[in-house]
Amino acid sequence: MVSYRTGTTIKKVILYTIIIAIGLAYIFPFIWMVLSSFKLNKDVLAIPIKFFPPVWNFESYYNAFHYADYDFPRYFFNSVFVTICAVLLCVFLSVTSGYGFAKYKFKGNNLLFTIVLSTIMIPFQAIIVPLFILVRKFGMQDSYLGLIVPGGLTAFGVFLMRQFFYSIPDEIIESARIDGASEYRIFVKIGLPMAKTPVLALIIFHAQWVWNLLIWPLVIISTPEMRTLPQAIALFAGVYFTPYPEQLAISVVACVPILVLYLFLSKNFVQGITLTGLKR
Amino acid sequence: MKRVGYYNKLQRHGYVFILPTLLFFSIFLIIPMFSAFQLSLFKWNLVSPKVYVGLKNFIKLFQNERFWNSYLVTLHFTFLTVIIITFISFWMALALTSKLLRFKHVLQSMIFLPVVLMMVPVAVVWQFMFQTTGLLSVIFLNVFRFNIPWLTSTKITPYAMILVYVWKYTGFYMVMFIAGLLDIPEVHHEAATIDGAGFWARLIHITIPQLRNTLILVLVSCTIFTFGTFPLQYVMTEGGPSRSTEVLSLLIYKEAFMYTKFGYSASISVVFFLTLLIFSVIQLRIFKSGTV
Repeated sequence: MVSYRTGTTIKKVILYTIIIAIGLAYIFPFIWMVLSSFKLNKDVLAIPIKFFPPVWNFESYYNAFHYADYDFPRYFFNSVFVTICAVLLCVFLSVTSGYGFAKYKFKGNNLLFTIVLSTIMIPFQAIIVPLFILVRKFGMQDSYLGLIVPGGLTAFGVFLMRQFFYSIPDEIIESARIDGASEYRIFVKIGLPMAKTPVLALIIFHAQWVWNLLIWPLVIISTPEMRTLPQAIALFAGVYFTPYPEQLAISVVACVPILVLYLFLSKNFVQGITLTGLKR
Repeated sequence: MKRVGYYNKLQRHGYVFILPTLLFFSIFLIIPMFSAFQLSLFKWNLVSPKVYVGLKNFIKLFQNERFWNSYLVTLHFTFLTVIIITFISFWMALALTSKLLRFKHVLQSMIFLPVVLMMVPVAVVWQFMFQTTGLLSVIFLNVFRFNIPWLTSTKITPYAMILVYVWKYTGFYMVMFIAGLLDIPEVHHEAATIDGAGFWARLIHITIPQLRNTLILVLVSCTIFTFGTFPLQYVMTEGGPSRSTEVLSLLIYKEAFMYTKFGYSASISVVFFLTLLIFSVIQLRIFKSGTV
């Protein structure tokens, strides 16, 4: 915190100027991207620089969605479908194991949790080769399953949910047991509803990771129709030339879903990040 | 006795709850990790039978110029990026928790915006801006009278990568620092101010010590995350002018899926994993040593 003393106006002005300048610099590339997606192809990299489109070209979006051999709506759907399923899988795994580790004292609890947590140290890039071979063995390459299943991997989710379930008092569970509820009923009717906040934070965190993932689809998807968005955009290059406005149009559309999510749920985005710092 | 038995039987439900995750993680995380170690001892192109070569892959690796180039490129990128991001995000977090500033949420959202964008389109956009007729080049020409070969010079391109990466992720770590800063009880600062402590004194003796855990978290997670960078380099330069931005994860990908050298790629993965492991252990050791 900065000083309370009066006469801090100069400090204020300097601080505001710097921070606002930085803020503008941070959103500037995004604004340029959106504006340029409405330019004519020749205007995107024209000199002298044209910041605003001299001629508004709305066809870029239409074209991007209607290419003959580049099925952008399909890629969008692929990404959405895979992300939703992978997030559901991740949440299911995290919530069940988090609850199990937190609320039950069984032999090997700590050991098994340590093993699960240690997988956080395994970077995804380090296992793409054996994972590829494994997925191929199951016949899951070039399929939604092959994208969804590794997409459910998250030791962080288990950690998060266990932390949370530790914090709910055992008395509630005990009284439900006394009332005759089965363990699974307790989990579904008491544990789950209480976990809305961390689950939401987990969903946001994990959805971003799956939605943005490039390396894995590149590895296992070879048929064009099964591509996900990041892969499709990365491979968007024409034979003779690349149409810039169209490329920017699909870039903008790819950013929209998470952006909209952020506009409505910015608090939860931040929550997810601060929860990673929870060591208390 | 009966009561104890009932309670213990209850606890066994824990096994049921953790079973799906244990199974899933074993098959898709733990076994692949061991499998990578095993695969690194073989030479395999996926079609012909595996050939056991022992540690030959590693010997080849450590003598290979391309590997060392990639390793150093990745280290250089990670080291600089982590330092710059930590530094900038710390000061921005300080500014955004300062009492002098209003509209904090708006400013925070602006700086956080790049974090929620997809890296692939981000790489595309910056690639445009880095072109010789692109925005950044033109601005530089007009302001500084000289142009920077952003993506065409082997010396400059790595720094262009760092620039984009820093731009993208500073907001993320800034939020971490903000959370850590908000955790510091105000009374500490108030008491210090009453005792006559100025801004810098409070910063050095209160803020930074209290931020210890956050700082560790930022440094470790940023290092791990940055070391594995892939989409940025793949999209913008595919390894850069003459491999000057060929980071390790890109090399792992290329060796396996372009040159079909799966065993060799696995050995690079092993080195990748061990490096990160050593990083994390060192960083945690350094910081643990100062803990009371």
